[in-house]
Amino acid sequence: MRIAEQDRDDVLLRRAAKGDEEAFTLLYRRHQAAMYRFALRMTGNSWAAEEIVQDVFMTLMRDPKKYDATRGALGAFLYGVARNRVMKHMERLPREIPLEEKNEDGTGSGIVLQDASTPAMWVEKRERRQQVRAAVLELPVEFREAVVLCELEEMSYEEAAQMAGCPIGTIRSRLHRGRALLMAKLEMLRSVPRRASVAR
Amino acid sequence: MKCEEFEAIGLDAERDASLSEVERAAAREHASTCSRCAALQDSWQAAGVELRAFAEDTAVAQAPARVEMRLRQEFRTQHVTLKVRRTAAIATWALAATALLVGVVSWHSWRRSRQEVAANHLNSVPAANNFPDNNSAIGANHKTSAEVPDGMLERGSAGAGSSETLVADNELSGFTFLPGAFAADTDEAAILHVRMQRSALGALGLPVNEERAGEWIQVDLLVGDDGLPQAVRLPQ
Repeated sequence: MRIAEQDRDDVLLRRAAKGDEEAFTLLYRRHQAAMYRFALRMTGNSWAAEEIVQDVFMTLMRDPKKYDATRGALGAFLYGVARNRVMKHMERLPREIPLEEKNEDGTGSGIVLQDASTPAMWVEKRERRQQVRAAVLELPVEFREAVVLCELEEMSYEEAAQMAGCPIGTIRSRLHRGRALLMAKLEMLRSVPRRASVAR
Repeated sequence: MKCEEFEAIGLDAERDASLSEVERAAAREHASTCSRCAALQDSWQAAGVELRAFAEDTAVAQAPARVEMRLRQEFRTQHVTLKVRRTAAIATWALAATALLVGVVSWHSWRRSRQEVAANHLNSVPAANNFPDNNSAIGANHKTSAEVPDGMLERGSAGAGSSETLVADNELSGFTFLPGAFAADTDEAAILHVRMQRSALGALGLPVNEERAGEWIQVDLLVGDDGLPQAVRLPQ
């Protein structure tokens, strides 16, 4: 039986619970990218992000009744599950930051070059992005979560608060502190090359 | 708006939907008058640009195809296992129900056969009790159904499992004891229906009509437990 693309998530989930593989696949394809991005931005590790996405959908597959359509969208539910998995991952490996990320084909980092810059500019940009990435990953988990949700996922404060399961005020305060730490870190990183070049 | 307040809510005032228009205006005004906070805001905006650039780099990131493959495999395994388990459970219940049914039917038929046997036994007891002289001279004699003459079959004998039945005393009446036989010797005797020539009666010590010596007659013999005839009865 063909499934309409516009079928609602809860309808698909009901079908998947009855053993409809196509419905499950469609649900996965709808939500996997968002889950993966969130996990990748939170952990900075593609392997961990992959594992988290797999765990999230395993949970959905094994116990679809955990999702209650009356309490919100499936996406929000999946975010919640992903967030729990991320937190567990952080607890397990509190300071794990991989030295280098590899793509599936074994090339470089997960960063994709999308502009036509010169090699020197590209290298500079790449370095800068790695610095930003490192700065984000060095933030304490709760501040990082606020920054990832509000700045990277571009959620509103309300959505982020709902996702993190805390009041808007808490999200705002976490974001404020996260930003302060991030700015300090980025300022420091900016000034280091400058000082190095002055010394030369 | 004070600097602390600006740091807390003013940096992102334009995006924060929870702020009122008055608060936004106050933040803008503060940034225009306070150079420190204006620098802070510039710095944050620069950081924001870098964050957005970082976000763009990962905007197209997707879980590798192997994750989907693994999940689909797991999905199939789980649902096939579920189906097998369901089928096994149904089969088990069906077998159990069948076994129970067979058991109930067997028990019922066994009980019915037992009741029939008991009923037959009860039916035969009054027949014996009707004859209080059961322990008289002849005693309790046994007789096979094959030996019982037509019309003398005991009640309820049809379909009964036993081939032996009690014979009422009056069935033993009419016997003539052979010479040398005593009534006491007939306790375990059985009645034997035989067809013989009348002349054979002479061998038993009975008088024989010579003219009818060649006739075949039906005779009841009362045979003792030693196998010897004790008494004889000629049909009327």
